[in-house]
Amino acid sequence: MTSTRLSDRFAATVATAQKAVPKEEDFTSRLRSPAIAARVGLWLGISFTVCFLTGLLSHYAQNPTQPVPFPTSPSWGYRVTQGLHVISGTVAIPLLLVKLWSVLPKFFSRPPLRELRALAVWVLEKASIGVLVGASIFMLASGLLNTAQWYPWEFSFRTTHYALAWVTIGSLVVHIAVKLPIIRDVLLADVDDTTHDRPTAVRPGALSRRGLLRTTWLAAGVAFLATAGSTVPLLRKISVFAVRTGEGPQGIPINRSAVVADIRDSDVGADWSLQLISSEAIRSWDRSSLAALTQREEKLPIACVEGWSATGTWTGVRLRDLLDLAGVPRGSDLQMVSIQRRGGYGTTVLPANFADDDRTLIALQLNGSDLDIDHGYPARLIAPNRPGVLQTKWLTRIEVL
Amino acid sequence: MLRTRLLIGLLGVVVGVYGAYLWLSRQEGPQITSAAKWLVAGPILHDLVLSMAVILVVAVASRVVPDPARAPLAVGAIVLGSVSLIAVPMLGRYGEKPDNPTLLDRDYTTGWLVVAGLVLLGVLVATVVRARRSSGSSSDTP
Repeated sequence: MTSTRLSDRFAATVATAQKAVPKEEDFTSRLRSPAIAARVGLWLGISFTVCFLTGLLSHYAQNPTQPVPFPTSPSWGYRVTQGLHVISGTVAIPLLLVKLWSVLPKFFSRPPLRELRALAVWVLEKASIGVLVGASIFMLASGLLNTAQWYPWEFSFRTTHYALAWVTIGSLVVHIAVKLPIIRDVLLADVDDTTHDRPTAVRPGALSRRGLLRTTWLAAGVAFLATAGSTVPLLRKISVFAVRTGEGPQGIPINRSAVVADIRDSDVGADWSLQLISSEAIRSWDRSSLAALTQREEKLPIACVEGWSATGTWTGVRLRDLLDLAGVPRGSDLQMVSIQRRGGYGTTVLPANFADDDRTLIALQLNGSDLDIDHGYPARLIAPNRPGVLQTKWLTRIEVL
Repeated sequence: MLRTRLLIGLLGVVVGVYGAYLWLSRQEGPQITSAAKWLVAGPILHDLVLSMAVILVVAVASRVVPDPARAPLAVGAIVLGSVSLIAVPMLGRYGEKPDNPTLLDRDYTTGWLVVAGLVLLGVLVATVVRARRSSGSSSDTP
């Protein structure tokens, strides 16, 4: 076989492959149009922005060191922002699916092989879109799986979800910068305007463009109703796919059980005590002496990073009262230490503004009865506007930093 | 305009590179590879599996489905399809934990059947209404 015949064969193979793979022109639906992409993209951009900002806030709230202290008010603040984070990410899924559908022909655009400059631009744009699509799907999928506590991967969810949020937003900003003239034109024009359509995108679909847009909003609305009950009490009965009904021991769901944290009977028996350690002194209370101190009642939400939340009525000792008994000055940061043997966040920093807030309790009871072992018996921290993972359960030690 | 766009684009690149630095600098090799696999798998699964499946279903449906049912069926498929995708982790109960009955504490299969039933009902009603309307208008015209 001669080399010319080989190259002929190669060319023929390439030609066959090119025929088998659809080309941009092969997509003829007039619904696959920038008019749809820009309109759905606008709402997708808004939902990604909400996710990004509320995510940054949540990440900051969990930081052990905070140059500007996270505020303690409103007590329901974190409940709202983290609920919004998860809701916004969930409703973005139908939006992303329709958005990607509307621009799918672009995936099959052929590189301009003859012109080097045009080829470079083509490669750069493809790369930036690749990063945007990959990161967007990653963020929505990993976030969704995290709400259902399904972790079929080896990476750290928090670190990776946080880092790739920056990648997603960065590539989204690049994408907007590239497309800005088309976005502006298309959004200012009528939805049926065809100025920016591909020449072959003329075949009417089963739906009109308005119909497809309304269907997209409907799908996002149904996604909201079907999941938001994890955090919106009014929707609890409607949200058939909510990861939590809001029920649990003493009327509140739990995230980490005593079994998983490896809490043993001997840990929480008569020998249990709560120690307060400062540079001057060590004070210690057993459960009955804590119960003998002035008891306060606070209605505070427990709001998890995974987006579910529920309000409970907590009874116990005001943390500031304990600190006063030990002579700990206002403005002291604390470290809360749990008995737990397994899982993260066994030791967390409680910034001074939380320690000094009147609503912050060392809770002994929830909704009228002694804490369930899964809610942190003998005593737990409950503070306003604090991520649930930092509301230390099975407290054993408070250290003044 | 071009200068503004260049500046916005540059800002995006800086933000994205910062994210990539965070991703690559704070974890071990195997964790980074695991996330990289997921990053690549998403677009592949979407572009080559889901999109192609949708194209196939639409191609078949456009031949089989009678005219009055086409728009209602498209609406129903988009709503039920996307919401079902969201429900996969719940329907599969992959995150279920024996020690924590408060997590995934619903009957999601029944929930899905209810949603699917409501969507189907909506599609049927809309189809009947459209069929009657079109036959009514055609008999009106002499």
